[in-house]
Amino acid sequence: MLSKTVYAVLSVCLLGAGLTSASASASVKPKSPVARASVPVGQDSLAEARLIQIYRLIGRSDTRAALDEAQRLVKDHPNFALAQLVYGDLLSSRTRPVTAFGDVPATQLKANAAALTSLRDESVARLKALKERPPEGYVPAEFVLLSRTSKHAIAVDAARSRLYLFENRASGLTLIDDYYISVGKLGVEKSTEGDQRTPLGVYFITSQLDPKTLKDFYGVGALPINYPNMLDIRRGKTGGGIWLHGTPPDQFSRPPLASDGCVVLANPDLQRIINTVAIRSTPVVIANQINWVPQNKANPQLDAFEARLNAWRKAKSSGNLAALNAFYASDFNNAGKTRGDWLPILAREVAQTRGRELQLKDLSLLHWRDKEETMVVTFGEVAVGQLTGTSKRQYWSRRAGQWTIIYEGTRL
Amino acid sequence: MEGSIKPCRLPPVSRPISHFQTSVSMKQAPNALYKSLQWLVLAGACVASCAYADDYSDVSKLVRTNKFSEALTRVDSYLASKPADPQMRFFKGVIQRNLGKTADAITTFTQLTQDYPELPEPYNNLAVLYAGQGQYDKARLALEMAIRTNPSYATAHENLGDVYARLASQAYNKALQLDGNNTVVPPKLALIADVFKPNLGNAHNPASPAVVASAAPAASKATAETAAPVVKPAAPATPAAKPSAPVVTPPASAPVMAPAASATTASAPADTQASKAVETAVLAWAKAWSNKNVEAYLKAYSPNFAPAGKQTRAAWQKERRDRIVGKKSISVTLSDLDIRVDGEQAVASFRQAYKADSLSVSSQKTLNLKKSAHTWLITRESTGR
Repeated sequence: MLSKTVYAVLSVCLLGAGLTSASASASVKPKSPVARASVPVGQDSLAEARLIQIYRLIGRSDTRAALDEAQRLVKDHPNFALAQLVYGDLLSSRTRPVTAFGDVPATQLKANAAALTSLRDESVARLKALKERPPEGYVPAEFVLLSRTSKHAIAVDAARSRLYLFENRASGLTLIDDYYISVGKLGVEKSTEGDQRTPLGVYFITSQLDPKTLKDFYGVGALPINYPNMLDIRRGKTGGGIWLHGTPPDQFSRPPLASDGCVVLANPDLQRIINTVAIRSTPVVIANQINWVPQNKANPQLDAFEARLNAWRKAKSSGNLAALNAFYASDFNNAGKTRGDWLPILAREVAQTRGRELQLKDLSLLHWRDKEETMVVTFGEVAVGQLTGTSKRQYWSRRAGQWTIIYEGTRL
Repeated sequence: MEGSIKPCRLPPVSRPISHFQTSVSMKQAPNALYKSLQWLVLAGACVASCAYADDYSDVSKLVRTNKFSEALTRVDSYLASKPADPQMRFFKGVIQRNLGKTADAITTFTQLTQDYPELPEPYNNLAVLYAGQGQYDKARLALEMAIRTNPSYATAHENLGDVYARLASQAYNKALQLDGNNTVVPPKLALIADVFKPNLGNAHNPASPAVVASAAPAASKATAETAAPVVKPAAPATPAAKPSAPVVTPPASAPVMAPAASATTASAPADTQASKAVETAVLAWAKAWSNKNVEAYLKAYSPNFAPAGKQTRAAWQKERRDRIVGKKSISVTLSDLDIRVDGEQAVASFRQAYKADSLSVSSQKTLNLKKSAHTWLITRESTGR
C-alpha cells in the first residue's frame, strides 16, 4: 500500500471540498473560494491538473485508480519527470511499502540524488500554488491601471514558481490561468550578466522568437522581455536575453530553480500564452512574492500620483517650461541625456503643441516597490484636435514624498 | 531488478481426462483450463479422451526434449482436425516461442485469450513475451487479466510483482533523467525461455498426482488409495498442536500439527513415522522461507532438485536468493497439509498463503520429496496441483 501519510503531507489540503482559497500573502485576508477551481473548466487535460488528480486519488487511498491515471499521464507526457516519479511510487507500492514521496531505491538514487530533491521541490511548489489561491477579485499590487489596449497581463511569483495570466476585461483584471514555472538557478534579483538569476521588476514582452530559429532547448518558442529596463540601467544592472521560453523536448518541466535567469514554462503552457497575449502591450511583472490587493480599492497614495501626473500634463499643456522642468529629477537620464539636455527637447515639443490641451490616452500605471518606489507610466500624448500623438513611457520615482520623472522617452 | 519472469506451468495435460482426479481436485477450485476442458469432454468427446491424452502427452514429451519442429508438426496435424483445441493451441504458442517465433507466439496466445478469456495461462505467457520485448505496460495488463481470471494464480502474481518493479524502475529512471540503458538490465532471455518448458520433468514420477492417469498407471493405485478426503481440519494430533487451529504458521517457535497427519495415520498407520518426518521437513522449509533464512531454505532442496525448464541449479538458487533477500518481510503459512508417503518418495500438497511486503498470494502447492539419509529433501516443487 502506498503510505497515505507520505502523500497526505502534500495533498491533505486538496482533499474534501477541493481547493479552498487561502491567503496568498500576509497582507491579504482570504475572502471566498476563488472562482477558478483546481481544475480549470475546459482544461481538465492539463498535465498538472491530472497530476493533482492523481495526488487526490492517492489521498483517498484509491491507488488503483491513481495508478491507471498515472499510467495515462506518463503515456501522454513521458518527459513529465514528476509524473514519472509518482507513477514509480504507485508501481513500487504494489511490491513493497513506499515510505517517502519519490521512494527511489538507493542504488538507483545515487546516480542522480539531486534530481529527486528538485522533483520534490517541484511537487511542493505546484501543490502550494494550487492550494493557496489568490482571493477572488484580487490582483497584484503592481497593476494599478491597465489601458484597455493591454488585453492581458502577466505576473510571476518567483517564490511560488508560478506565472499568473490575467485578461483585462471591461469588468476588470481577471485571472484566467496560472502555470508552474522555473526561474534562475540562483534565484532572483538579477544584477549582473551571468549571475544565473531572474530579474525582478516591471517589464514588457518585446517580441516573439520563431522556434525554428531557436535551439531545441527553448522548446516551442520564446518571448523576450525588456530587461534591463530603464530603472535597471540606472542602477547599473547588466546582462540581457531574459525570455519567457519553453522546455527542451526531453523535459516536460524543469526544477523550480533551473534557468540562467529566464522564466521557463512547460511547452503546452507557453504555447497557450503565445497564442493569447499581444507582443509589446503585455506587461510582465516579476516579483519574488506577489502582493495581492483588492482591485479598484481607493488608494490615497495612488490618487496623489494621479494628481501629480495631471499637474505635469497641465504644465506641459500650458507651455510653462520652468514649471514643467520642476517635474524632472536632477538625475534624469535618457540614454545619457541629462535634465539639462532634455529641456530643449521639451521646449520643442511644447512649441509644436502651440498651447493646445494635451490628453493622455490609453494610460497604464505599473507600480514597482523595492528599496525605492517607481511608477512605470505608458500613454499616448495627443493634443486636443489631433488624431494621433506620440506613445510615451515615463519612469517616475517617489522621493521625499514627491513623485518626480527620472526617465521619459518615446515608446516604439 | 532482475527480469526473473517466472514460468507459466503448463496445465497438467492429463488431468482433464483423469477419472481419478475428481475427488482430489475437489479440495481446490479446479483451474479454468481444467474446467473448460472437462466441459468439452462432457460435451461429447468422452470416447476420444484417451486419444487426446496420448496426443497431449506425446507433444509435451517432444517439447520437453526440445524436439520443437516435430512437436509443431504433431500440434498442427492435430489442430487441422480440431482447430479450437485450447491445450494444443497453448502448446503451439510454447513451441513457437521456443523456435524464436515471438510474433507468432504472441498471436497464438492473444487469440487464446480472446477465445478462452477465462484461462489465466495464455495471459501469463503473453505477458512473458511482452516483457521479453521490454513492453512492460502490456505485460502488466496481461498479468492483471490473468489474475482477474484466476485470483489465486501464483505465477502471475509473482510475475506481476516483477513487472511492477521493472516499470517502477523505468519510471524512476525517467523521473531522475537517468539513462535507462545503463541501469536497467534487460530481461534474461534464458529465464524467459524457461517459461515455455512445461514442468513435466517429473512426469514419470509415480508419486506425481498430476500425471497418474496417462503416464504412470502404477500411480493410479497409489492415488486411489488416498483419494478419499484426507483433510480433517480440526484433528488433534501432536501434543504441541493447537487443536482447533487448521493453519500452520511456520515462524511459530514450535511447529504445530498438520491435520493431514492424523488423516494419514488413520489411512496408513505404517507410514505415520515417515509422514511426520515429511511434515517436519515441509514445515522447516516454510519456516526457513518465512525467516528469510536462505541457507536453510535452499538446503531443503535435494541435490537432484530440477528447477523448471532449462534453468540451471545455480541460476535458480540465485533467483530464489534474490527474491527472498529482496523482501523486507516474508510470511509463509501452510494449511490443508496433505502428505502421502510411498517408500522413499513423498508428496506433500497444501495451501500456501504467501505474504511478502504488500504482496499476498494464496495458492495450492505440491512438493515432491525424497528420503535422503535421515531427512526428506524436495525434488520437485509445483504450484497448482
